[in-house]
Amino acid sequence: MRGTLLYIGQRLILIAVTTALVSSIVFLLLHQIPGSAFLNETRTTPQSLAAHLHHYGLDLPLPQQYANWAIGVLHGNLGESLINRGVLITPLLIRETSVSATVGAFALIVTIGLGLLLGVFAALRQNTWVDYIASSAAVVGYSIPSFVIAIFLLLIFGHYFYDWTQGTVYYNVGWGDWTQVPVPAIALGLPYASYVARLTRASMLETIRTDYVRTAWAKGLRARIVVTRHALRNALIPVVTILGPLVTGIITGSVVIENIFGIPGLGKEFVTSILARDYNIVIGVFTFYAGLVGLANLTVDVIYPVLDPRIRY
Amino acid sequence: MTRLAVFRSLAMAVGAVSMVAACGPGGTPSSNLASDQTLSFPMVDDVGNTDPATMSAAVDIDIFRNTYSGLYKFDDQLNEIPDIADGQPQISSDGLTYTFKMKHNVKFSNGDPVKADDFIFSWDRAAAIQGDYASVFQPVVGYDDVSNGKATHMSGLKKIDDYSFSATLSAPAGFWFTETALWTAWVVDQKVVLAAGKATDTKWADDPATAIGTGQFKLTARTPKQSLDFAPVANWWGGSTGTITKVHIEIVADQKAQLTKYESNGYSLIGFANQSLTPEDVIRYHSDSQLSKQLQLLPGARTTWIGFNFCTGKGTPSKNCTFASAFAGDAGKPLREAFSLAIDRDQLVDIACSKGTACVKATGGVITKGLKGYLGDNTDQWAKFDPTQAKQLLQQGDPNGTKTKNLTYTYNATAFNKAVCDNLASQWRANLGVTVQCASTDRASFFNARTKCSYPIFRHSWSADYDHPQDWFDFLFVTDAGSGGACYSNSQLDSMAKDANSKPLSQSLDTYKAMNKILVDNCVTGNLVYTVLQYLAHPWVQGASGNSLYDNYWSDVKILQH
Repeated sequence: MRGTLLYIGQRLILIAVTTALVSSIVFLLLHQIPGSAFLNETRTTPQSLAAHLHHYGLDLPLPQQYANWAIGVLHGNLGESLINRGVLITPLLIRETSVSATVGAFALIVTIGLGLLLGVFAALRQNTWVDYIASSAAVVGYSIPSFVIAIFLLLIFGHYFYDWTQGTVYYNVGWGDWTQVPVPAIALGLPYASYVARLTRASMLETIRTDYVRTAWAKGLRARIVVTRHALRNALIPVVTILGPLVTGIITGSVVIENIFGIPGLGKEFVTSILARDYNIVIGVFTFYAGLVGLANLTVDVIYPVLDPRIRY
Repeated sequence: MTRLAVFRSLAMAVGAVSMVAACGPGGTPSSNLASDQTLSFPMVDDVGNTDPATMSAAVDIDIFRNTYSGLYKFDDQLNEIPDIADGQPQISSDGLTYTFKMKHNVKFSNGDPVKADDFIFSWDRAAAIQGDYASVFQPVVGYDDVSNGKATHMSGLKKIDDYSFSATLSAPAGFWFTETALWTAWVVDQKVVLAAGKATDTKWADDPATAIGTGQFKLTARTPKQSLDFAPVANWWGGSTGTITKVHIEIVADQKAQLTKYESNGYSLIGFANQSLTPEDVIRYHSDSQLSKQLQLLPGARTTWIGFNFCTGKGTPSKNCTFASAFAGDAGKPLREAFSLAIDRDQLVDIACSKGTACVKATGGVITKGLKGYLGDNTDQWAKFDPTQAKQLLQQGDPNGTKTKNLTYTYNATAFNKAVCDNLASQWRANLGVTVQCASTDRASFFNARTKCSYPIFRHSWSADYDHPQDWFDFLFVTDAGSGGACYSNSQLDSMAKDANSKPLSQSLDTYKAMNKILVDNCVTGNLVYTVLQYLAHPWVQGASGNSLYDNYWSDVKILQH
């Protein structure tokens, strides 16, 4: 237990360092991009431009800007939006993270649930029509990018089933209704579910041929017990191994999906803030993403020993 | 009078009183009003600034003109009329001193009385904060000191008593009275602002608890980038706030999503705060006899044109110039004319303006039709379609084709700008035989480069801030104009602008028109289209409209039974 806590502590420090590094690099690179958030087709004068820069501290030397920003971050303050003056970034991103996390969690359920189900059935019914259909579906699902699936789903739910959905399941027409979550989550999770299905099938095929599973069958245990308690648990280890990169993929994939479905989450903010040169939000989003990916990977690593007692920290 | 006659008279009187009592302020019988008087509509983007001193986007102004007000406002015909002011200002004979008298009954939404000190405080802080429109106070004596941070008070502003004050200008400025009706001159509550922080802090305006104004409505809730809510101010100083009991605004980036919700009665309307429909949707509504009853198309106050670069070399005629443009000066005039004459604007409007539902062709100069300074329909000789003359002019301006080789028209990436560029490029290829590449760039990079006159030929547009020609010339066409992007310079025009700006509009309108004519005659801008505003409202929503610059006040809207 002590070892696990020590490991978690080390990893948390590493995540903090990585997040700080990522946001620092983004901070420095962003300031090299031409363009300004304050220029538009209104009466911007040199004086008003200078006033804007002064208000946000953008007229200070870059090292000083960086120091001010870092001090703010240590106090949990990511600054103020350049486009929407007065809007504080930390509460904004926390709210948007909760939206993204809802969709992401649901997508993870789709990924793992559907992937495991297809993989297990395909393995148990190897070389039958069940296997062929499941395997083919997995190949197709894995080959189609999530944004194409999203467009298909929009067509189905937004057009063919319009009378049933009234369009509210797919756009951000007042985000907050749980019925809005499944469709984008399926679009986000489906390609990864196909990957999990293929991996689970291969792993299950290997496991169900092992001696201890054969022994379980020979003991006369029920099929459900043999599959879930003996075969699946061990077959899951390679699946959990890829869970880290998979969660990362879902987090980054949300950038595309949130924009297609108009979901007011972190992914959508990421794109709009870059286009608007809202430097402060861009840095904030990167910081959040870096932290999220680190924490997601840590969570997966912590789950590992639960499934495989041989692993100790 | 007989008993019958008395009875009849009494009955008629009772009937008349009943009818009056049953009617709302706009003449709608209250029995026809829906029990839920919530006005709801979507916006693509959230408001950018909530403090009058820093506001600049049309969206912000359309929303917050319902919560703040100033000495003057514009009526439906864009005439400037008193709001908090008690009548017109007294202007000294030299045109330098304006004395404003205020109504005595004006209160902020928190009940604080509005006094001259509040106006002086509001105007001083606006000059100090230096928002995009702080230059509204540039003519006032002491502005420079405040804007430079050397002083906190413009010495030209003087309190006379609690309900009157004067503003002294450094030089006569005929347009300044119009500017006093702008948002930068709205009054804020000195007590509230100072209680929340420094005078120049703007955070108070984001918090519904401290966003105190003198308008008919008050901000009650705000979730950034998600929604805004407003409610009428109880016992508003100006009288009735209409029938609307709540205003709910949602930030919905996708126009299709907006319409989907509108069509399921989720919104009262689409169109307030400068919103529009997608091209296919506006055509669908416009072409259907039933649906078209929900759609109103009104002339807007924006002109879009082809910007030609007038740089003749490094540093000339503007310090921003870095290269010699083929379109500059007298030598470039035939090219400018050729590129303008080669455009069939009917075709452009059909394709890029969704068959005229988003914009109409610009044939009367750069100032939009309907605004003061407009030259009249078909007065721009270079806005007609004449491919034969265009080819001749091209031959004259670029006989060996070297000047128009590898030309790139640059625009900031929007669907409309892309449609315009694609159509222009195809028409120039077909009518002039010139290949022009379309280059889109993001908004921030585009304005950054355009401000430095970096593009030889580019998209330009301007939306009037108020109905005064000075708003166009001072910011677009005088030498080193901040939003010009073309580095245009004409000493004659500069001197005419100086003269016209010093006089009241009644005496200067002809000069402004003459200036507009100079622009047209020299084909300084390739005028393309004037914007059309779209308001889509259910039949049960009354008053969902506006003029070329502003939406109707929310108090003008009523929700009928449905």
